[in-house]
Amino acid sequence: MSTELEQQLRAAMERFTDDVRVPPRLAVKAYRHQQKRRMTTRAVAAAGTVTAVAAAVAIAGAAGAFGSATSPPVQTAYTAYVVSHVEHALAAPSLGHLVEADRTTLPPGSTLQPFPDVLVGSTGGAGSAPQWNAGYTLRWIYHGSAEFSSFTASGQRVFDWGVTPAHGTTAVIYGNDTWWTAPPPSSQGGNGPAPGCIQGHEIALGGGAGNGWPAFIRSQLACGAYTAAGRQVVDGIDTIKITGNSSPFTFWVNPANYLPVQAVLGQRQTEFHWLAATPANLAKLTVTVPAGFKHVPAPAPPTRQAP
Amino acid sequence: MADDRAVTDLESFLAERGEPLLRTAVLLAGTREAGEDLLQAGLERMLRHWSAIVGDPEGYLRRTLYNLAADGWRRQRAWRGRLRLLQNETATAVTDGTTEVDTRDALIRLLVQLPPRQRAVIVARYWEQLTETETAEVLGCSVGSVKASASRGMHRLRELNGAAPGAENDLTEEKAR
Repeated sequence: MSTELEQQLRAAMERFTDDVRVPPRLAVKAYRHQQKRRMTTRAVAAAGTVTAVAAAVAIAGAAGAFGSATSPPVQTAYTAYVVSHVEHALAAPSLGHLVEADRTTLPPGSTLQPFPDVLVGSTGGAGSAPQWNAGYTLRWIYHGSAEFSSFTASGQRVFDWGVTPAHGTTAVIYGNDTWWTAPPPSSQGGNGPAPGCIQGHEIALGGGAGNGWPAFIRSQLACGAYTAAGRQVVDGIDTIKITGNSSPFTFWVNPANYLPVQAVLGQRQTEFHWLAATPANLAKLTVTVPAGFKHVPAPAPPTRQAP
Repeated sequence: MADDRAVTDLESFLAERGEPLLRTAVLLAGTREAGEDLLQAGLERMLRHWSAIVGDPEGYLRRTLYNLAADGWRRQRAWRGRLRLLQNETATAVTDGTTEVDTRDALIRLLVQLPPRQRAVIVARYWEQLTETETAEVLGCSVGSVKASASRGMHRLRELNGAAPGAENDLTEEKAR
């Protein structure tokens, strides 16, 4: 066998197919053609029966079988296809070289409070009562480090909160001109509990970078009951929309890399950007303490209530 | 409507993965038009058997394309008619052309003259770069069969590339099997 011939053959194949495009509506054509064939087959079968009643039953059976045997499985398999790609994209190795930057808009009445290992937020339900009003948040995450800034709805900075594996947590509270630090957690609990399936109003956003949106989304997908619900343009990107069948969580992924572009959880909306780890972007992970702020002890960790 | 949504989802899937699948289909079928028909036939079969498909639809569709193509597909008769035309074109291109482009065009024409199973094996091995084991899995045959088909296919391509007289007779014989 000639290696040169193989190379020529591959080049020929490449060239022969380099500008093929899938015709529009090919799936529609396939669906209609298949439906037509199936109905014809059934009609022929029905014609062979001795009574009109039998024919009617056969045709009704055909229609029923077609409706139930194609749509849900198509949906399910496509969802499985998309979800597996999203899970892979959000796995730690895939995200290793990217800085996650997100902006979350919170519903009116939301509050947040920073603790050494965790941020606790509330949208007014039961649970602990976080201290600071929050309109929106900005967060940067990279390689186990995170910086989180909370703002009022009018854009006034409320607090900055940063955590690194080496230096622990630093928080600057603009509401009372204080700041505090806390060492890295000695146990493995620094990332907080693994997010479970969504329930209740209280949402632990996760202290460390390990518990950001990627982990949250993966955990929700692991709960099942999510559907790839077609395409939607978000922020100029023709995204795939993924909705929770019974949960209030919906998110949109970029089909080019299956990373989230936007997420809506109840009344909270988050936009994502996945950025290169440039010095300018990495600098966003640093919390700066303004001059004149008073150093205070870190608050005690919150006590979580059972859901 | 649920069916409309299902078709929309399938269109989305094709928007993502349709192009590489269509490229394979075109190579398996021999022309773009036939490749589109083959892909559509694969989609129809996929819809028919969807309840049995678990997981990645792309793998199922790819196997379906190969098996349809290897089984000669429904256009086998049309292929026979097309062969004469292609062989005439081949003769012109090979004797006429000295450029690389001509050689590539000629190779494609020669490729589509191969019997369906040999062509499928060649596409799987040299276009999709599948291993012999992977090719055997896709085509549902033994590794030995893949080796034999690949060997015969490449041998035939070399023969045809040398414009061996009598190739048409050999092809007719293979197609009749």
